[in-house]
Amino acid sequence: MATDFEFRKQVLDMHMSGVIKYCYQCNRCTDNCPVAEVTDNAYNPRQNILNALLGFKDAIFSAEKIAIWGCTVCDTCDEVCPQSIELTEIFKLLKNHSVANGDAPDFYYLQAKTIFENAKAVPSQPAIERRREQLGLPTVAAPDINELTTLLKNMGIDKKLKGE
Amino acid sequence: MAEFKMFEGCMIGNRIPFIEASCRKVFDKLGIATSQAPFSCCPDPTGFANFDNDGWLAIGARNLALAESEGKDIISLCNGCSNTLKLVNHTLKHDNLKKDKINKELSKIGKEYKGTIDVKHFVSVLKDELEKIKSYTVKPLSGLKVACHPGCHYMRPSEVMETDDPMHPIDLKEIVAACGATVVDYGEETLCCGSSVSNAYEDHGMAILKKKMDAMKKAGADCLVVNCPACFQQFDGKQRDLSKKFEEEFKIPILYISELIALGMGIPADELGTKFHRTRVSDILEKIG
Repeated sequence: MATDFEFRKQVLDMHMSGVIKYCYQCNRCTDNCPVAEVTDNAYNPRQNILNALLGFKDAIFSAEKIAIWGCTVCDTCDEVCPQSIELTEIFKLLKNHSVANGDAPDFYYLQAKTIFENAKAVPSQPAIERRREQLGLPTVAAPDINELTTLLKNMGIDKKLKGE
Repeated sequence: MAEFKMFEGCMIGNRIPFIEASCRKVFDKLGIATSQAPFSCCPDPTGFANFDNDGWLAIGARNLALAESEGKDIISLCNGCSNTLKLVNHTLKHDNLKKDKINKELSKIGKEYKGTIDVKHFVSVLKDELEKIKSYTVKPLSGLKVACHPGCHYMRPSEVMETDDPMHPIDLKEIVAACGATVVDYGEETLCCGSSVSNAYEDHGMAILKKKMDAMKKAGADCLVVNCPACFQQFDGKQRDLSKKFEEEFKIPILYISELIALGMGIPADELGTKFHRTRVSDILEKIG
């Protein structure tokens, strides 16, 4: 298995203090991971940290999608890690790479597109607006969609979205 | 108490607004003043952050800048929104390179992030008002056995959230007790609801949900109290599917903590819109009379 040094550098840069280097593979993250439990370790945070630390980019991104996207972002691993590694931050980097490769599950592209076009992950709907009125609630303050779209376009994030 | 900018979030504002209704009524009683701002999506810490981290920081920083321009702290009704806004605030306060990068993008749309305001989850505001909640509770909820689910992002990652004990949370329990109800421990309080993994792997989310529901059913809970709209949707919206999938009956009503407090304050269920829940709240309403 080949080490990708550029990728490894990105992983190491996620923690300014460099704590990821002190992972000794105790498996406490996987032992406490709710998804590892229900998938018989098909999602395995300890394995992801090991592969990331060694720069094994191919091993991470050529595996089944669940190896990265099984994470439910509960931050439990961060809390139980004896070395205070913020595992979820590392996993976010892996997911960002997967998105850029075009390999993420559909949901993530759909949600990003909804936010890009509406400035909200759940756009305003007439039926809900009526319900708000019935409940005596004020209309939701409308976000500046143009401004948000411009911000994301300037950052090139629109290029990561997928077509219809 | 100074006025907060209300951050109701996409899910509550545009899908399940009855939660905002109970929150606003409770805030009014307790003297917590709020005003609106044209916030965008926070954006979702379990979704958009995984799509593009810098984009997530930029949108979050823009929302913070909107509140900063009025010099007011944000009160969030949602675990996801408070998680994102606190994480973005924390990251940009501790990483100058990132802050400069994000501000360079924000300057092109006429905004600037300064890092001058705080973000509060409404539960951490309410838990400082326990005496007031007690004094406004006119309808005794005694005898009501309540299981609590504060949700992952109310207290994790603890270094940033700075609210409750990350693995042994008590804030929500204290509020439930202040309403006069009985807290039921079920041993899986800190387990995720399974909402986020369901976005890509529905079956795994359901397996986690079952583990939670089994535990609270066994503990004899009359209802479950939550403080996150994603968790609410998972427990309230998917319970019927769960019963079907595992051929086992689950019928535990789900209440937002603000709804429980409001019911204790004697606010009629009609005004709270509890009929819009998917689980049957009527059993609880009968029980508390």
